[in-house]
Amino acid sequence: MTVPSTADFRSQLVAWLDENELTPPPDDHSLDAHQAQHLRVLSALYDADWMRYGWPESAGGLGGPAILRAVVGEEIVGRGLDHPGPYSMLEVLAPTMIDYARPELAAEMVPRLLSGRESWCQGFSEPGSGSDLASLSTRAEQRGDDWVVNGQKVWTSFAQYASRCVLLTRTGAPATPNHEALTAFFVDLDARGITVRPLSAMHGVDEFCEVYFDEVVVPADRMLGEPGDGWRLAMDLLPYERSTCFWQRIAYLYSRLDALIDEVKGELGPAADADLGAAYLALHTVRCRSQATQHRLADGHKLGPDTSIDKVLLATAEQQLYDTARDVLPGVIELDDSPWRTEFLYSRAATIYGGTAEVQRNIIARRLLDLGKE
Amino acid sequence: MKPDAESDSLSLGLLEDGLRKTMLSASGAELDAALADMGWAEMLSDMPEVAIPLVFRLLGETGSHASILNDVVLQSSRREPGGAPALPYAGGAQVVWERHPDSTSPVHPVLGGLPLRRVDEGELLRLAEGRRALGWWLVGSSRTMLSLARQHALDRVQFGRPIAGFQAIRHRLAETLVAIEGAEATLSLPGVDNPDLTALLAKAAAGKAALTAARHCQQVLGGIGFTAEHDLHHHVKRVLVLDGLLGSSRELTRKAGAGLRARGSAPRLVNL
Repeated sequence: MTVPSTADFRSQLVAWLDENELTPPPDDHSLDAHQAQHLRVLSALYDADWMRYGWPESAGGLGGPAILRAVVGEEIVGRGLDHPGPYSMLEVLAPTMIDYARPELAAEMVPRLLSGRESWCQGFSEPGSGSDLASLSTRAEQRGDDWVVNGQKVWTSFAQYASRCVLLTRTGAPATPNHEALTAFFVDLDARGITVRPLSAMHGVDEFCEVYFDEVVVPADRMLGEPGDGWRLAMDLLPYERSTCFWQRIAYLYSRLDALIDEVKGELGPAADADLGAAYLALHTVRCRSQATQHRLADGHKLGPDTSIDKVLLATAEQQLYDTARDVLPGVIELDDSPWRTEFLYSRAATIYGGTAEVQRNIIARRLLDLGKE
Repeated sequence: MKPDAESDSLSLGLLEDGLRKTMLSASGAELDAALADMGWAEMLSDMPEVAIPLVFRLLGETGSHASILNDVVLQSSRREPGGAPALPYAGGAQVVWERHPDSTSPVHPVLGGLPLRRVDEGELLRLAEGRRALGWWLVGSSRTMLSLARQHALDRVQFGRPIAGFQAIRHRLAETLVAIEGAEATLSLPGVDNPDLTALLAKAAAGKAALTAARHCQQVLGGIGFTAEHDLHHHVKRVLVLDGLLGSSRELTRKAGAGLRARGSAPRLVNL
C-alpha cells in the first residue's frame, strides 16, 4: 500500500467530497439527526477508504501517518458534514483499542467503529471524580473468569447511541496507590445491569449521559491491558486528543468564524474589526501551535505536559470566538433560536471538559516551569 | 542526525554563545560595531531565516539593543544598506532608529532609552521581515521577564514558604508561558503563501504576549520589580516601546479584522 503525501491526499479527498454528496439533511437539528448523519458520513468514508488511512492494517486500516486522519477530520468537520463532538470520539476510542485491547479484539471491533456500524463511548468521569480522575470509585471485582462492575459514570458523551464503552474502573486493594489501582474494560452496553440516562444540559443538546453499572458481568478477555494499566491508558489518550482532535476542532472554529464574518461584514463596518481580528489571532495562534505539535508527534516525539499549552490556547480561543459572536451579533444569542445560541452556551464548557483550565495551569506550573509542589 | 546537520547545529550553538556574550557586554552603537565585526551583514543577506530569529531573540533575552532593525527593513525593501529609514510607529507616528545617536545631546526622551527620534514624513517600506524581527525580540524579552519572575517566586519566602507554592502566582506564570509559546508558534510559521499577513499576526501575537508577560511578571515580582535596582523594568519598558514600533498589537489586530471583513472569510495560513 503506497501512502500519498499529505498535500496529494488532501486534494484527492477534496475532489472526492466534491463528487459525493454528504451534506446533512436541512432543518433537523435534533441529536438523533446528528447521530444518523455521523454514521452515514463514517460509512461513506470507510467504504471509500478515506476513514482507513492513518490507522494500522492490524485494525482494518490502510496504514500511513496519523496526520492523514487530521486531514480527513479537518475536511469533514470544517465543511459541516459531521459535528466535531461525535467525530472526535474516534480519535480517543480507536487508539485505545489498538494500543490496549487483545489484537484479535481490536481487529474485530475497530472497523465497526470507523465504518459507522457502531458507536462507542468513554466511561471515565464520575460524580465524585472530575479533575481528580484517579480517585474514581466504580469497582470491578474478579469472580472466576469474569469481572463484575458496580458504580456510576457521568459526562459520558453519546452513551445513548453507544453499543460499547471503554470503561475505567478501580480494581486495586484499598492500599494500592491510585495510579496503579485502575483497570480499563471494553464493555457491551446491552449487558444486564447497565442503565443510561441522558443529562439535560444548559445548551439544550443532551449529549452527556449518566451510566449506572449494577452487578454488570464483563468477561476477562475484555480487559484492556493488564490489571493496573488503567491510569496509563487514560494518559496515553492525551497525545491523540490533543493533536488530531484539536486540529478538527480548530478547523470547525475557523468555519464558524467564516460564518460570523459573513453575517456581519455588510452591517457592522470597521466597528467589528478589533473583535474579529482578536478572535482570528487567537485561532491562528492555536492553529500554528497545533500544527507544530502534530509534526512533533509525527517525528516520533512523545507528547507530554507541553500539550497543556495547546489545551489552554484552544479553550481560550473557542470562548473568545463565541464571546465575539455575542458582541457583534447583539441580541441573536438571547432572542433568536439559532446555532449561535447553542454554540455560545457549549463554549462555556471549553475550559471545563478534557481537563479544566486550572488543572492545565497547574500542570504547566509544575512540569514546564518546574515551580515545585503547591 | 546527519553529520552536516550535527556540525550545523554545533556551529549555531557556538554562534549563539558568542552573540549572547557580546550582547551582554555591549549595547547601542558599540554593539552595532561588534555585530558588524561578527559578520551580521553577511548573516542577514545569506541566511535571514536563521539570523533574524536568533539575533533578535537574543537582543530580547539579554536586554541589549542595536540599530539592526534598520538593516532588516532596508534589505526587505530592496534598499541600499546603511541609513535609517522612517519607521511607522503606533498612532500614525513616524520614527527613525538612529544609528549614531549624538552623545552630546541631552538624555534621550524615549522610554527605556532607545535612540528613536520622531520625524514627520513616512516612507514606503516593506515591513513583514521587520515585524518578524521585532516579534522575536519581544519573545526574547518575555522569556527573560518570565525567568526573572520564576526565580523570584522560588526564592521569595512569605507566610513561611516560597511564593511559588501559591496557586495564584503559579497560574500567572503559567499564563505567561502559554502566551509566549503561542506567539513563538506564530513566529515559527514560514508563511510563504501570505508573508505580510503571517508577519502581521506574528507581531501582534508577540506584542500581546509581551504585554501579558510584563503584567504578570511585574505582579509576581512585587515591590522589588518596581525598583530600578532590579532588571525587570528594563524589559518592561523595552517591550512597551517595541510593541508600538511597526504597529502595535492592538492596531495590527484591528487591521487583521479589517482584512477579514474585506475578504469575507478567515485565511488558513497554516496547513498540515
